Order: sequence, then C-alpha cells, then structure tokens
Amino acid sequence: MKYTVILITILLSTSFNSILSQKVINGKVFDNKTLEPLTGVYVIYEKGRGTTTGPDGGFTVFTDLQTLSISFKFIGYKPLTRAIELLPGKDTTELQVGMDMELMEIGQIVVSANKTEEKIAELTVSMDILKSGDFLKTHITDPQELINKTPGIEVLDGQASVRGGSGFSYGVGSRVLALIDGLPVIAPDAGNIKWQFLPMENISQIEIIKGASSVLYGSSALNGIINFRTADATNTPVTQFFAETGIYGKPKNKNWVWWDSPRFFSDLSFSHLQKIGKTDVGIGINLLNDNGYRKFNDEKLGRVSLRIKHFNQKIKGLVYGVNLNSGYTEKRDFILWEDADQGALKQDTSTVSLLHGTFFAVDPFMSFNNYGRIKHDLRIRLQSAGNRFPVRDQNNSDAYSAYAEYQFYYRLSDIINFTFGASENYIKILSNFYGNHTGINLAGFSQIEANPLPRLKMVAGIRIEHNRLDGINDKIVPIFRTGINWQAADYTFLRASFGQGYRYPSVAEKFASTTLGSVRIFPNPTVQPESGWSSEVGIKQGLLIGEISGQADLALFFSQNSNMIEFPFGLYPEGLGFKADNVEQSRVYGYEAEFILNRSVGIINSSVSGGYTYIYPVEFNQTTNKSSDIYLKYRRKHSVKLSSNTTYKKFTFGLTLYSRSKMLNIDDVFVNEFTREGILPGFYDYWLEKNKGYILLDENIGYSLSKTITISIAAKNITNLEYMGRPGDIQAPQNYSIRLSGKF
Amino acid sequence: MKNLALLLIVTACIYLAACSKDSQSEAFKLLTGPTWVSDSLLVNKIDASGPEGMLENFKGEAKFNEDGTGNFGSFTGTWRFSNEETSIVLTSDSLQFPLSAKIAELTAKSFKVTTTYPNPANPTAPVNIRMTFKAK
Repeated sequence: MKYTVILITILLSTSFNSILSQKVINGKVFDNKTLEPLTGVYVIYEKGRGTTTGPDGGFTVFTDLQTLSISFKFIGYKPLTRAIELLPGKDTTELQVGMDMELMEIGQIVVSANKTEEKIAELTVSMDILKSGDFLKTHITDPQELINKTPGIEVLDGQASVRGGSGFSYGVGSRVLALIDGLPVIAPDAGNIKWQFLPMENISQIEIIKGASSVLYGSSALNGIINFRTADATNTPVTQFFAETGIYGKPKNKNWVWWDSPRFFSDLSFSHLQKIGKTDVGIGINLLNDNGYRKFNDEKLGRVSLRIKHFNQKIKGLVYGVNLNSGYTEKRDFILWEDADQGALKQDTSTVSLLHGTFFAVDPFMSFNNYGRIKHDLRIRLQSAGNRFPVRDQNNSDAYSAYAEYQFYYRLSDIINFTFGASENYIKILSNFYGNHTGINLAGFSQIEANPLPRLKMVAGIRIEHNRLDGINDKIVPIFRTGINWQAADYTFLRASFGQGYRYPSVAEKFASTTLGSVRIFPNPTVQPESGWSSEVGIKQGLLIGEISGQADLALFFSQNSNMIEFPFGLYPEGLGFKADNVEQSRVYGYEAEFILNRSVGIINSSVSGGYTYIYPVEFNQTTNKSSDIYLKYRRKHSVKLSSNTTYKKFTFGLTLYSRSKMLNIDDVFVNEFTREGILPGFYDYWLEKNKGYILLDENIGYSLSKTITISIAAKNITNLEYMGRPGDIQAPQNYSIRLSGKF
Repeated sequence: MKNLALLLIVTACIYLAACSKDSQSEAFKLLTGPTWVSDSLLVNKIDASGPEGMLENFKGEAKFNEDGTGNFGSFTGTWRFSNEETSIVLTSDSLQFPLSAKIAELTAKSFKVTTTYPNPANPTAPVNIRMTFKAK
C-alpha cells in the first residue's frame, strides 16, 4: 500500500510538472486574400495530435517541445506547414497563419454531389458551377434563362432537361430537382420548379449535377439537380444592389409587331449580409416588372428572403438558424399563339388567364459538427404556395408541404466515412383543378465514401423510398449509385459513375382535368412512376500554362429511362384530348466537352469558357431491349456555348455565343393534319420552314464609376434572331438593358 | 495502372448491370401469344363490321407483336398498354388519332375491349364500341 501511494505521488507529480512545463501556442488562421477567419481548419502537430480552428479561426496547442512543425489543412486551400521555435522563458506564443486558396478551377468547393464539402475535381459525377459574380455581369436575373444558357441544358417553358434526359410535358412535373441550400423547391401540386421565387439576389453559387441523383435527393432528381446555394455573411458587412431597366426591340418579322408603345422591363435588387456577434444575418429583396414582348404575357413580381444563422458560443460546432423565402406574382403565362402569320406574339385569348401567385417557405435548420469527424444535420422546410385565377377560379389551388431531413455524417478514419439520412415530405393540395389530395413520402438513405489509396476515391449509396398518395401506396423500389475518382496525375482526375433515378407522378399529372381554349386535359390516376439510370466516364484536367490557368473536362455519358410521362393526344373514352401516360422509353448517348481558361496580366484580366454537348436521343423497345431509330421529342443533337469576359482598368467586356441544332421531334398533335390547325394555327408550315439550328449572341459592357458603383449595358440577341423553344413559344427578340449596380 | 484497371472494371460492371432486360407481364404474354380473329365488332350493341360499317377496318386478324408493332384488321401500326395494363392504345397512320380502349377481358382464348367515341351529331350521346377477338 505504501509503495502504491509513493507511485501515485510520483506519477501525479510528473504529470503536474509536465503540464506546468508545457508551452502554449495561440493562433488564428485566416484567408490571405479576404482576411476572413477560416473555421474548421485541421491543425496537425507532432505525431497524431491535432485540433481544428473555431468560428473565429482560433486554435490553441500545448507542447513540451522547443521546436514544432505545425501543418494546416483546409479544403479548397493550399496545405501549409509552419516550423515554430518556442523561445525559452516565454510560455505563450501568438501565431497568425494566412492560407491561400487553390487558384485552379479544379480546387473549387462544392457540396451538392455528396452532401458534404469536397473539391469539384474529386467528384465522381459531372458538375457545373455558376458563380453569382459571373451571371450578374450578363444582366441575367431569371434563373430559367441562366440555366438555359448553361452547356448541355435546355429549359423549355420552365422544364429543364439535362443532356437530353427529359422532354417537354406542358410544364407539369420536373425531372430536374431545384434546391435552395439542399432543400427541394418543387411545387407539391404541379411538380414543377417555382423559378420566380428562387432568391437570386443572395446566391453565392449554383451547382448543377448532370445525371440521376435520386439516391441522395429522391424523386424528381431523375435527370439531375440544380442547387442554389445562398451566400454566407463575412466579417465585413456586404451590401449589394442593382437597378435595371430595359426595352424589347421589334422582332425580325415585322408582321408580328402588335404594340404601339415600347415594351419595357425593370428590376430592382437588394441584398445585405452581416455578422452580428455570433449571428449571421442576410436579407434580400427583389422587385420585377416585365411588360413582356408578347400580348397578354407579362409579370409583376416581389420577392423577400431572410437568412439567420447563429453559432452557439457554449457548444462548439453547434449552428442553427432559419431561412425565410416569400414572394408574390401577378402574371399571365403564354400558352398558345393566335397564328403564325400575324399573331405569333399574341396569345390566343381563349387561353389567357391572370394568375395571382403567392409563395412562402420557412426553413429552420440545426447542425452540429464535431471537428469534422461527426456531423448531425437537421433541415426542415414548411412551404405554402397559392394560385388564384380571378377569371378562371376553377383552376385555383393551394399547395402545402412539410419537408424534414436528418443526416448523420461519420468520418471513421481518413480512409472511410459514412452518411446516413432519413427524410419525410407531407403534402396537402386543395384545388378545384386537381381535386383535394394528401400524400406522404418517407425515405432512408446511406452512403459510404472510401479512399483506399491516397489518390483514389470510391462512393456507393442506396436509398429506399415509400410514397403514399390519398391512402394508396406506390411500389417501394430501392435505388443505387456508385462512382469512382482517380487522380491520375497532379491535375488529372478520371471518374466513372452510375446512378439510378425515379420520379413519382405529380398530383397534376394524375388528376389535372380542365379545358384551355381548344385543349382538353383528362385525368389519369393510374399513371406510374418513371425510372431510369445514368452513367458516365469522364476526365477533368487542370491547366496551368504560363499565365493561363483553368480546366478542361470531357465526359462520355449514357442514360436510359422507362415509363417517362407524356401527355399524348388521342381518342380516349372521355373524348378527344390530352392525358398523362407512361409513354416514352428513352436512351441518350453522348459526350460533352467543357473548358475554362483564365489569364491575368497586369491590369487585364480575361477569361474564356465554353462547352459542346452532343447527344443521340432515341426511343428503345423495352421488350427487345433494342434502340429504335425514332428520335426522342424536344431534343437537339448539338449545343454549344462560348463565353469571354475581359476586365481592363475600369471597363468590363463580355460576349457570349449560344448555338443549338434543330429540334429532332415533337408531339404528333402539332403535326397531325387533323389536329395541328386546331391547336396552333399556322404552326406546321412554320415548323417545316423554321426548325433549323440557331446561333444567339449576347453582349455586355460595364464601367466602374467608383470602387463600389458600376454602370453596365447588356444587349441580348444582338442579331435579332427569330427562334423558338417548345412549339409556339417564340423567344425574345433583340433587347437592351442598362443597370446601375453597387457593392460595398 | 492497377487503379486504371479497377476503374475500367467498375465501369464495365456498371454498364453490364444497367443493360439487364425488363421482365414481361402476364397480360403481355397473353396478348402477344396468339393471332387474334375478330368475333364481334359492335357499335351501340349493333354489328358494325359490315361494308361501310364503323368498325369494318378492324375485321379480320389482329396480331400484337412483342416489339410493340402490330396488325389490327387492315390497320398497321403500334400498340401499348396503358392504365396499369387495363387499357390498350393503338396508333396507325390510317387512324386519325391514337385510339385508347379499356380491356374488358384478356385470357388465352378471348380478348375484349370497350371504348366510347364522341358523336359529332349528338355530343351528349357518345358512341359505345365493343370489340371481341378470339385466339386463332
């Protein structure tokens, strides 16, 4: 017993002396360019010892050593190692560590591919990033226009198609899922994207995954996702605004001019981001008035967003807050033209209807990040959307949804990590148009990421989803994804991926029943879910040639979808009209090449980017499993985008070219001799003559009046090209806008 | 090099897994198995298979091929199931519009469909069609 006491005393004494003799290093890590503190930086010292920086970028290290080598690692930044010599007699050492971002495009950080931060080059899938700074210069305020002008994507009257994976189904249902900070913004009734209510005034970047993403994001992500990521506040408050006004020119076909006075559009946008103590606050406001270039097709829109994010002081890594998005619109959508000769820009009065639309979403969230090893994430979206048609009140509808998602991330080691999650979405529809409906969707998903070798990354995931609408259960189908990324050289990344996807029919596809002019739509409650898969192999090459940096990407892809829902026109027991049905079995083969090059010499900064996409979209026979020679509807084989932007002193110049080949096929109702004139007068002859490829040119010039204020002019469709989206949807003629913008 | 081989193997597995063939339903097998012969073609319960009858062109043999093509009397075109295989849709260049009909019965020996057709002369009283086929 005596020896035990002596031993304990010696041990305690040794430990106490050790603690007393330890020296302390207090440090702060920040971004070298912005001087913003960096949170979550790995600080590794001695062997196997380390910590992470807190919300203020601070860290503390205890050591017995006189000299110490500390490594700093943070995703998106160049790794840094500092040798520290601790002076005798000085117990505390202060350290300031500035880190530099990876300059290469391939170092950009994204979150959408695996719901965790990672470099774009290390993804197993294709992703495009749109930065707000880039699209603001081009005067693009409508997210539809922005996405439509992205390589490999076409948006037809609100319906996005990635690499030909989707056609056009009259604005109902979407195979591409739109998200705000990872939460879906699909209307619960029509299943379409509420483009006008996306908070474009406060976006940091938009991430687009090209290919099936249902394992992580569920139904509607059959063909890809578009994640609008809102901007975080920084230590320095940032206020941005712009005021813009513009005018539509006259169309090339002078017979189509119907207006006597100029057609104007204007847009006001404001956003402010600020840290108040441990709380980030962001607010955004947008007001739009677009008189439109088509008769009975105009819009007034107001949108407000608020973002509050609080970092808990007592529990390190605990963050919670709420996002609010709301909007009101008064608009008349364009459905059918009067005729091709005189009335292509005039809406057939039998289809005109004024819509008063409201949107409100509350998104509370909470996350806990334990030094990057364990992360809990809970996100909720309570959404309400209302449509009021003063003249056609039989089409009124209210749609409510309550979405919740919990995700657990666990980094078992540097080699392997797991993600588990569950989600729930309850919907309630009150509508004369669709009838009243309730539904619930429950899902569980898991994913494993492994780095078995230093340059090799493998991903595999599975999802099981249960869908119930009006008490009727859909079939439960597990879906799977997998992918691999191999860094073959310092700036060369090879990837391959496969992902399954599916989409449950929207309430509108099952139950819509209405008459619009000469168009009758019948309900089909038995329409089945769509399903499919996409796969690709690709290579991403970082470029650093003298003063030029950038990246190039090449992808070969192949996708197949079954039971795709269309609205075929036919003779049904209810009569002649349209009815949703599982009609299309599609295969799309193709390849896509994209590049970005940046050059900075003295006072001239310039960038050139672009992409070319080729698709071969055909129907296939499910029984024989053979491809047919019938082209899929609403697809084009070739699309090209080329964009250049140059800054010289106070000037900015931008020029963008978009080109698409002809549309390969459309619905039979528009070409059938018995129906075409009744639906779209004059369309058939117009289609035969004008369905050709086109080249569209946009241009913008900006001048900095001061460090904070810029004035800019944009000319879109400068050659006054006449071109069409879906049948009868003539796109905007030449138009000009002037914008005063500020950032301080 | 080993990694590249792994990458190619995974890619090959992905493609092979993705190319699996869908299974055929019982209704599909029943319909595509025999050659069918029209037995009765009725419009409002009255035979319409005679000369200049409304269903004259459906008289004779019908064959629904597995690849979705087929011959239906004098029509040549395509067919597909609809409404969870409770309806069939026929398309043909000779038909003005795709024709959708409910499947009233489908067995190894008998195939019956019903549908209605708008009556231009009297919109409130549509034409009721019933077609019965027997396996040849």
